[in-house]
Amino acid sequence: MDEPMADAPGAQVRVTFTTTEADLELPESKRQLLVPADIRRYGLSRVLNSESMLDTGSIPFDFLVNGSFLRTSLEDYLTANGLSVETNLSLQYVRSLIPPVYEASF
Amino acid sequence: DTHLSSPPLRDYTESLTLWTTLQTKTQPLSHSLAAHLRLILTPTQATKLSGTFRTGKRLNIKKIIPYIASGYKRDKIWMRRAVPSKRAYQILLCVDDSASMAGALGEIDGETPAHLALESLVMVARALAVLEAGSIGVLGFGSGEPFLAHSLSDPPFTASADAGARVLQKFTFRQEGTDMVRLLRGVVERFREGRLMQSGSSGGEELWQLALVLSDGLVQSREHALLRPLLREALEMRVMVVFIVMDDAGPAKTKRTSVLDLKEARFGPDGVPVIHRYLDSFPFPYYLIVHHLADLPGALAGLLRSWFAEVNA
Ligand SMILES: [Mg+2]
Repeated sequence: MDEPMADAPGAQVRVTFTTTEADLELPESKRQLLVPADIRRYGLSRVLNSESMLDTGSIPFDFLVNGSFLRTSLEDYLTANGLSVETNLSLQYVRSLIPPVYEASF
Repeated sequence: DTHLSSPPLRDYTESLTLWTTLQTKTQPLSHSLAAHLRLILTPTQATKLSGTFRTGKRLNIKKIIPYIASGYKRDKIWMRRAVPSKRAYQILLCVDDSASMAGALGEIDGETPAHLALESLVMVARALAVLEAGSIGVLGFGSGEPFLAHSLSDPPFTASADAGARVLQKFTFRQEGTDMVRLLRGVVERFREGRLMQSGSSGGEELWQLALVLSDGLVQSREHALLRPLLREALEMRVMVVFIVMDDAGPAKTKRTSVLDLKEARFGPDGVPVIHRYLDSFPFPYYLIVHHLADLPGALAGLLRSWFAEVNA
């Protein structure tokens, strides 16, 4: 417990994962997580798919923050929206294989 | 205080109402805490060495020469623990003023760690004031330098609603960071000053310094390693630091995960995410997790009791 963990981590952000897809719901105790602030969509997908989370292998996910798709790192999103790392960000995840029309409706 | 860099204050009238509400709400628990602490903070064990005995704990240097001169006959040269020494306490209540403590819009209703922290502040401060346990200071911390909301050398803020409100006013829970490293440096510094203040004023009282940190426990994990040497330094100064995690998991609508369940994701060099329990790297050796205000008196008393037993052993 005293030795440093694998990598010296950078800043972290607390996120809350939500979804509307019933088959992909996380148990309540796993919905909040501290993640590296420089994480992007790909990293978030890997975290969600990991054994200790959904254990789903490699489903590509997209993430919605306040109704728009996350296209930057969380850090950049926070900065662009005048938020700090003290914010608890709500991330809604959806399967990435969605038709462009659907995406446009957001 | 009209200094330009002073943070904005909570409205005075609102703070006055808040003080009165919190005081009323915490009254019974404050009494219960005072009852617990009365037994713990008063010395029951003799700690001061004195007297002249044939056996004992430490040599009485003044008796050595007569001892030799008497041809080793006057051999009552030892001191024993005989007199319970009077204790003086300095207690710093450190309140996390960062935005993670409040709701999304900065609200501090009954379901936020911020509210639980202020309740705890009022409850603990009033219990200590009843006991006349010593001097109490309040330190606020967030992204910058910790700020003094009430100085150790000032009269107790629990004496009047006005003084209480003026302390509460300083906490707006809008700071955009939680700099625990700076907090600990601030605590060590204040207690160094406090020790000087004490040695100038009193005769032979034993000084105990205690810092209670009231926070949601969310510290950037990269700071954990930096905190360890500071905690050791505090320990060497005989400063006790108790971290009280305000873990008001709240009702369904807040859906704040308890810090006990909170995990963190890190990426290994191979890019594979690994999930750890957040508390596994938490560096504070003494911490309590409080879900409800009613948990605090018993938990805090238990922790202090075992700590005193440890240092007096
Ligand atoms: Mg914080």
